[in-house]
Amino acid sequence: MGERVIGAGPELREVSTTFDDLHFDLDVFDGPFDLLVTLILREEVDLWEVRVSRLIADYVLRLADSDEFDLEATSHFIVLVAALLEMKSRRLLDEGLLDDGLDESDEEEAGEELLVALIRYAQFKAAAQRLGHGYAEHAGRIYRRRPIPQRFLRSGSAGSRLPAFGLVDALVPLLREPPAPDVSHITDLAVSLVQELRRLRGLLGRRGSFTFAAVAPRDRLEKAVTFFALLELHNRGEARLSQVRPFADITVTPVGAAAAARDDVAAAVG
Amino acid sequence: MPERVTLQPPPSMDDAARRIEAVIFTAPRPVGRDDLMSSCGLDDEGLTAALSALQREYEGQRHGVELVEIAGGHAFRVTPACEEVVRRFAGARRPDDLSPALLESLAVVAYLQPTTRAEVAQVRGVSSEWALTALVERGLIEEGGRAETPGAAILYRTTDRFLELFGLRRLDDLPELAEFALTVTETDELRSRLLANAERRRP
Repeated sequence: MGERVIGAGPELREVSTTFDDLHFDLDVFDGPFDLLVTLILREEVDLWEVRVSRLIADYVLRLADSDEFDLEATSHFIVLVAALLEMKSRRLLDEGLLDDGLDESDEEEAGEELLVALIRYAQFKAAAQRLGHGYAEHAGRIYRRRPIPQRFLRSGSAGSRLPAFGLVDALVPLLREPPAPDVSHITDLAVSLVQELRRLRGLLGRRGSFTFAAVAPRDRLEKAVTFFALLELHNRGEARLSQVRPFADITVTPVGAAAAARDDVAAAVG
Repeated sequence: MPERVTLQPPPSMDDAARRIEAVIFTAPRPVGRDDLMSSCGLDDEGLTAALSALQREYEGQRHGVELVEIAGGHAFRVTPACEEVVRRFAGARRPDDLSPALLESLAVVAYLQPTTRAEVAQVRGVSSEWALTALVERGLIEEGGRAETPGAAILYRTTDRFLELFGLRRLDDLPELAEFALTVTETDELRSRLLANAERRRP
């Protein structure tokens, strides 16, 4: 059967897929896409049984649900799907393609395989006919079909005793829009991290060194934003933070570009 | 003067038979032997005797229903003579006929179960996706796990409804597949036809 992959293209075997999270749950296969392709190439999964359109539809849905678009992974997917389609198309033409390549012994072997397949099929076809007779005779028979009365069941659920309108009454409150939560206790921050970064950079440029206590707002939450802004400046290498002892005031001094900016300002003012 | 014959009423069913009759009457589906024994407090021998008594009661055109063993259990069924009137009363219609493609696919599942869609297609030589979907929708087959083979394909098996609609007590009632094997003569004829076709197509 290996020869039947004519036209699969060596390039298909060389494509490396990176679909770590691309998982398909099909009738004939449940697993990652790259494994599916491998099994098809090894002919352990019959390509005829794989609906390529379903793969594409699943993938497109996944793309639609995802916020990110991975161009490389999508390109690989399109290449592989195109190759699968080409394989399917070529197999439709197998007969013509193989006519030139088959020698007499292959032809005999293929003939024997076909004969075995037809003999097996004939067996099931005859069995199906017998089943058909059974169906014609029995399918119309009428059996007693009556669910067990509720009172005879071992345990009836409480809900089964409630009237239908009771269910409506129970559902209506759930369907109503809940009242907006009271957020009055949450302080509305007057400053944002970006604003504080901008302000502190300005201070570093104009004043040079300053202390945290001197520039921090009174509000505790806003004070925290200022502190985060200082940490950000430190992380970016724009300021150095120092304390003489733990919990003492923080002294902020400019570093690099900030110091240079301060010198420029001083020179302009001077 | 002809001798007077007094007709005796048939002997009444014993208590065990009455109990299993009640259980089968109220059950929504065929009741298996185990359920009958546990619910009626009978052992295997007692159940067999009670079922025989009940079957005698319902045989012989005395009732509009009959007691039958079907789909792994016992159930009451309308006698053929009364089917028409019941259909008129209940508006019940026969299940739709099954096409040859559906019957073939069903036969493959029935004999090879649990089996995969690929195996059904391999036997039939054509894709059987539509046929298996239609059989699932009709309740004749159902999914029964995944194959422990590469790809973990869905496995299909027949249902109790299949047994019921085909008049089978259990799967063992299916005729042996070997019964349908081609004879030597038929195989030779098939081979000859294939060879003749190949010769015709040879350039």
